[in-house]
Amino acid sequence: MNVRIRRLGVAFGVLYLLLFAQLNRVQFFGAERLQDNVNNSRGLVREFGRQRGRMITADGVIVARSVEAGEPVDFIREYPEGELYAHISGYQSLNVAATGLEREFNDELAGSPIDQQFQSFSDVFRARDTTAALRLTLRHDVQEAARTALGDRKGSVVALDPRTGAIIAMWTWPSFDPNLIADPDGAAANNAYETLLADPDDPLLAKAFREVFFPGSTFKLVTASAGIESGAVGAFDPVFDVTDSYDPIPSGSPISNFAGSSCGGNLIEILRASCNTAFAEMGAEWIGPDEMVTAAEAFGFNHTPPIDLPNAAKSRFPTDFGAYLADVEFYRGSADAAAEGVEGVGGVEATEEPSLANGAVPVYENTARLAQAAIGQNDVAATPLQMALVAAAIANEGVIMAPHVVGSQTAADGSVYDTTNPEVWRAAMSRGTAQVLHSAMINVAVNGTARNLAVEGLTVGGKTGTAQLGTNPPNSHAWIVGFAGPPGQPAELAVAVIVEAQEGASEQTGGRVAAPIARAVIEAYFSIS
Amino acid sequence: MTATSRRRLSRVAPAYAAMKPRRVEAGLVLMVGVIIVVAYALASFGASASIPANLGPFLVWMLALLLIAHLATRRLAPGADPVMLPMALLLNGLGYVMIARLSNDVPGGSDLAGLQSTWTAVGIAAYIGTLVVVPRVRILASYRYLLGIAGMALLALPLVPAFGRQINGARIWASVGPINFQPGEFAKIALAAFFAAYLVESRELLRSRLELRDLAPIGVAWAGSLAVMVLERDLGSSLLFFTLFVVVLWVASERALFLGIGAVLFAGGAVLAWSMFTHVQQRVDIWRDPFASPKGDGFQIVEASFALADGGLTGTGLGQGEPDRIPFVESDFIFAAIGEELGLAGSTAILMTFLVLIGSGLRVALRANRPFEKLFAVGLTTLLGVQAFIIMGGVLRVVPLTGITLPFVSYGGSSLVANYILLALLMRMSHEQRLEPVPSQS
Repeated sequence: MNVRIRRLGVAFGVLYLLLFAQLNRVQFFGAERLQDNVNNSRGLVREFGRQRGRMITADGVIVARSVEAGEPVDFIREYPEGELYAHISGYQSLNVAATGLEREFNDELAGSPIDQQFQSFSDVFRARDTTAALRLTLRHDVQEAARTALGDRKGSVVALDPRTGAIIAMWTWPSFDPNLIADPDGAAANNAYETLLADPDDPLLAKAFREVFFPGSTFKLVTASAGIESGAVGAFDPVFDVTDSYDPIPSGSPISNFAGSSCGGNLIEILRASCNTAFAEMGAEWIGPDEMVTAAEAFGFNHTPPIDLPNAAKSRFPTDFGAYLADVEFYRGSADAAAEGVEGVGGVEATEEPSLANGAVPVYENTARLAQAAIGQNDVAATPLQMALVAAAIANEGVIMAPHVVGSQTAADGSVYDTTNPEVWRAAMSRGTAQVLHSAMINVAVNGTARNLAVEGLTVGGKTGTAQLGTNPPNSHAWIVGFAGPPGQPAELAVAVIVEAQEGASEQTGGRVAAPIARAVIEAYFSIS
Repeated sequence: MTATSRRRLSRVAPAYAAMKPRRVEAGLVLMVGVIIVVAYALASFGASASIPANLGPFLVWMLALLLIAHLATRRLAPGADPVMLPMALLLNGLGYVMIARLSNDVPGGSDLAGLQSTWTAVGIAAYIGTLVVVPRVRILASYRYLLGIAGMALLALPLVPAFGRQINGARIWASVGPINFQPGEFAKIALAAFFAAYLVESRELLRSRLELRDLAPIGVAWAGSLAVMVLERDLGSSLLFFTLFVVVLWVASERALFLGIGAVLFAGGAVLAWSMFTHVQQRVDIWRDPFASPKGDGFQIVEASFALADGGLTGTGLGQGEPDRIPFVESDFIFAAIGEELGLAGSTAILMTFLVLIGSGLRVALRANRPFEKLFAVGLTTLLGVQAFIIMGGVLRVVPLTGITLPFVSYGGSSLVANYILLALLMRMSHEQRLEPVPSQS
């Protein structure tokens, strides 16, 4: 029998060797594959249930915090202000990829960077709360003012400090409650997410910096800057013809002013009146495509703004205007003469590189598009953030500071891990150009379409916009951009407001609808009741 | 005992003769005690970053239990193998640490640790009691029919409406008064004794001839196993009993033919079970591809795989994993919890400990003087080794999962007490061999 007993021993040895081999497969060789398996939520849950740092506004209101729960996860993420900061804080969820600051600062909030873990030598030996709290640049009172002023109209408000790029308020409606998606009950979170995703108004999208709109007349500030920077246009010279229609070259449907009115004059005057005909002519015949593209890109168009939030959208300015036809010296006077000039170049072969000499501009197949782009229509599209940066550039002597929402990252004991130092993003224009436009914008707020923006006791400048979407029924995006500061001092706040798809299409729409919202934000910032 | 037999004893087992086995055991038990106490403290530290408040009482209680088990062995079976008891205590202790650690996380598990420590004490009492009650294992052979009937009665007990209770789909529980237990855990020991005694009688016949009626016993065992599976829906026990009988029959008859017949019958039973029961088909489907329904039927196995994968080579550390995600982690799936928190190192240590126990058990069988002891030791060792293999293989997806406890490690009073009785019987036989001349090899 002993022979059989020994064989039995060998059999057990083989069986257990089999177990050992499988253990190696599961725990070592195949472990990574199992950990990456789509059904494996262990890593997610570990991450999800961990304590994370808070997010706090500049005036001390808690935007996000971890609350000890125990079951089913150690900590639950809470967003006490609900929808108000949803597009900034984002959410951290069990089933849905994180967004907003939760995503951008995931490591810092979780406390994983090495420099957070080891602040001093003694940290090697003790367990310390290494999470970083995010001190936001946003001010709760200003953010709430933006929400109240916009109300239940779809739109966005962006307010920032032109001197530093610090974002003071950034609000988009419709918004959503991030607590629903952060629900530790994965199924409930999933349902909430699916419902929001299916909403045609897309409340999940932070349109303030992730969606582009026709900027309409607010873009005339960029065109004006391009005009001055190119040397073709000055503050008081040339004086554009007073007319009610502009015929683009080489061909295209005529561009008219709002309500068929006539306007013209020098730069200050056409900005005040928001004169379409004059700016269309300026863009197409005085500046030309190259200088227009250069100026728009100097303001940040066609570039992703370096904001500390994920998935910021690029604002768009067209760069392709078709085949080059010829350099044309325009008769700076009547539209008829300009049209004759174009007839003169009709059918001319492109033989040389475009150049702008002696007041001549290169004309392309689609220069008509440029005329429309110059007034913020056609292929121009901008985020509300981008338009706030346009106003900020004019208020800050031509320099655009990198926009940001996180001011500093602090440890549990109050010590500072990291501070966001203001950085220059772009030089949009020269200081002189900025000064001209600064004065022009103040004039618009005093005498022009942005009178609703004016606040007593402050130096306020603005520019309205009404980006037409359709004529039947007439509706348009109502815009305003502006800045405000104590008299005689640099502006402390730049604002952009868009109210989407408003009824009506007069140039007054922006001033009537959007300006009061911007003014409410300015008043909140300067504590004027 | 003659002088020659003494010499033969010392020649065959010099290590045992030279080193007093109880002194070896004392050293091993001490090491086991240190391992368990340190593991307990680490598990608490890992989970809550603090030394457990009850570390002092725990230390005293645990060391007292180890010491009592050792001292009782010293008195009742001084000549027995010095390795088996420490190995069993190690498995029991690590299992306890894991259960205590899980009791904080498993829903409704708050008193698991207290109960398991009570069951450990009862188990060790049963171990001592068995050593006292059974001074010589061969007396069990004379009660063979009583044991056989008792074994079958215990197996059938859950089917009696007055006693039986169905928990989690399997009808393997019985309630007698206030006590709930799994009679099958005890039935397996009684049946091992019965099979051994029965086959001692008939093995000469089985060796020399093969007539149709000689196949009757294996047929009966097969039918009995099938009955357990069909009536109690307990695949694991069914497989365990059938394997037990076939292995003991094979060792007794020394005819591989019976292994072949056993394999054919097993295959037949398996096909039959598969075609008759959806829950068997389900088990097989899960085994073939648990990821086909990772949140449904395959959930337990899939989560166990993820737990083991998270463990990696060295584990997440005691108290720092998430084994509570696996359903029934404290009983059937405790191996996955150990693999997660102690890593491949820890799970391999469990495998090795079982191998050492199996080796020691088979050595008892090898050294046994009489056929009954030989077959009984083979039977007990097979029970231990196969049961551990079935559940660890199930967790690791080497074989289809059949719910059964991991001996000494899993939560559960019946399993713990029964396995301590099993251990005591092996220890008793091992001790008896010290007192008697080693037989010539057969």
